[in-house]
Amino acid sequence: MERYWQIEKTNLKYHVPLHLLVCILLLGISPLLMGVANLSAEDTAKVLERYVALIGIIMLTPIFLPEQDREIRELVYAKYMKSAQVYLIRLFGNLVILAVFLGVYIFMLWKNQCEFPVPEYYFGALAEMLFFGGLGLGFYGISDNLVIGYMAPIVYYIAAVGGGDKYLKMLYPFSMSMGSYTEKVWLFIAAALLAAAGIFFRCRETAGNRFIIRSKQMKI
Amino acid sequence: MFGRLFIRECRQTARSLIYWLVVLVLIFDFTTQLGSTEIAEKPKKGQKEYGLKLSDDENLIMEATLGSLIEEYSRESYRTYPIGFYKNVTLNEKEDKRIGEIIKETTGISGREEAEKAVDDWYGAKREASGGEAAVMMTGVEIKPVKGLSYERFEKLMDEVDDILGGGSDYAESERGAAVPMTYEDAVEEYRELTEKDRLTGGYARLFSDYMVLFLGILPVFLAVTRSLRDRRAGMQELIYTRKGSSAVIITSRYFAILTMVVIPVLALSLIPLSQCLKYSSAAGISVDMLAYVKYIFGWLLPTIMIVTAVGMFFTELTDTALAVLVQGAWWFVSVFTGARGIGGGVYGWNLIPRHNTAFNWKGYQEGFSQLVSNRIFYGSLAVILIAFTVFIYSQKRKGRYRLSWKGIGRLKKQI
Repeated sequence: MERYWQIEKTNLKYHVPLHLLVCILLLGISPLLMGVANLSAEDTAKVLERYVALIGIIMLTPIFLPEQDREIRELVYAKYMKSAQVYLIRLFGNLVILAVFLGVYIFMLWKNQCEFPVPEYYFGALAEMLFFGGLGLGFYGISDNLVIGYMAPIVYYIAAVGGGDKYLKMLYPFSMSMGSYTEKVWLFIAAALLAAAGIFFRCRETAGNRFIIRSKQMKI
Repeated sequence: MFGRLFIRECRQTARSLIYWLVVLVLIFDFTTQLGSTEIAEKPKKGQKEYGLKLSDDENLIMEATLGSLIEEYSRESYRTYPIGFYKNVTLNEKEDKRIGEIIKETTGISGREEAEKAVDDWYGAKREASGGEAAVMMTGVEIKPVKGLSYERFEKLMDEVDDILGGGSDYAESERGAAVPMTYEDAVEEYRELTEKDRLTGGYARLFSDYMVLFLGILPVFLAVTRSLRDRRAGMQELIYTRKGSSAVIITSRYFAILTMVVIPVLALSLIPLSQCLKYSSAAGISVDMLAYVKYIFGWLLPTIMIVTAVGMFFTELTDTALAVLVQGAWWFVSVFTGARGIGGGVYGWNLIPRHNTAFNWKGYQEGFSQLVSNRIFYGSLAVILIAFTVFIYSQKRKGRYRLSWKGIGRLKKQI
């Protein structure tokens, strides 16, 4: 247990602060950009789904970033502890941070007289955060490229803004503002699968079985 | 040297996975948004409706805008959408006083009590006239302006109100107006503008640009960041630094290669709606502008691609990180949501992502044309400046004079 805490402490000390700062900045400036008081349930959902959920991309996508350099990665993977365990600890740690941030933000909305069902909105927004983050993490793990990791959830977000629920169906991320929560369950399941796939491919690649993509012709 | 490097960069881009992901996203954007677009038919007499248009009757515009202002003034709460999200604004004493003065000057109504009474009277009169509450809710408050109020003065004062409210209010230039149903004659006139003034392809090229610019407002940054980080990732940075090619040639060849490789799929996609227009025009006997799509791609889309790519290259050279994705992501977010209210076209402002989500509204396009040109020239120039800075940073790095080190910043902080 102590070893796990040591890993998380290192993560918090060296890797998380910059991303944490960006999240605080994003959430901190939100009252200047949009209303956060006296909102209806629909407007509250819009703020949570279209703005606050974006911090999921910032906190979860760069889980593999500390080992971006191949030489460092080889060194880290030579250690006794399995790399998947290290990633899961980081993922869990960042997830807790996201949950706390969202909790504080929802409390602020509630205190500001916004009318909305608190538990449903909390878990709905959290599921969406996880989905966006999981999408980034999954693509980062599969492609071994941070930029592709960021690109996937951003493109998904734009597609959702532009196309509505017509094409994304059960994985439409802004369903709460239309009064539906079923999509959030699917988003949560997809988030778990994507994160698992990302970690799996990342570890698989380093074990010597270089997976797809990194052929000589394909320069990422 | 430039030509050789340029071709090499184009080849490298064409072999990269991220480039094909970008192309896939552009195809997705096109097929989902424009795939089922049908060319507008000539309006027929006796149709049930012909859509809505914004009235250009100055009295109607003033009545609707002032009615809304007085209602919000009486409630002491104003609805705004500064970046597309709802925001409720409450004013301080000084600002509230100034709004009161503007209302007095434009309507003759003095103070909050009189404003409340005017709103109540209007609702009372409507209720009486319609005999039902539901009918009242369909219409917004309308208040007549004072005699002798010129439209120019009204516009100036409403601009001031919008400034006081922090922008994005119903009193902003793009939002003032009253929507009225179109007549058959209006619809025919609109169709005539599309086929004669815009020569059909002009209107549809604008619609194409509107959908493509949404994604092109961010996609090139991924290519630019990946390209700029590639040398470092491959451990080739120091080796390339020692080559004899000048920094300007290296950076500009990369830059132009990205621009070219992004424009190529956009040009290819434009052939689909162009062929649709040609098919329609040959049956309807319309003389189309064959080069309209090319003109709009280079005039409307290219400046956005240029600045987004430049942002990507500049911040990546500056920090050696993927920070540019965050910077451009934030810029895209603000641009898209602030531009959402001017989606019908004609109000382009200084938005990075100018919108015109219709093949019609030729008049609006003409009215906003000079602003659009200034906008595009501004972003094109800004891109050139950013690339010049990128060249400078790159040359300093080659000489070993610049390297942003996070550890160094940490040490500096400790010393302070």
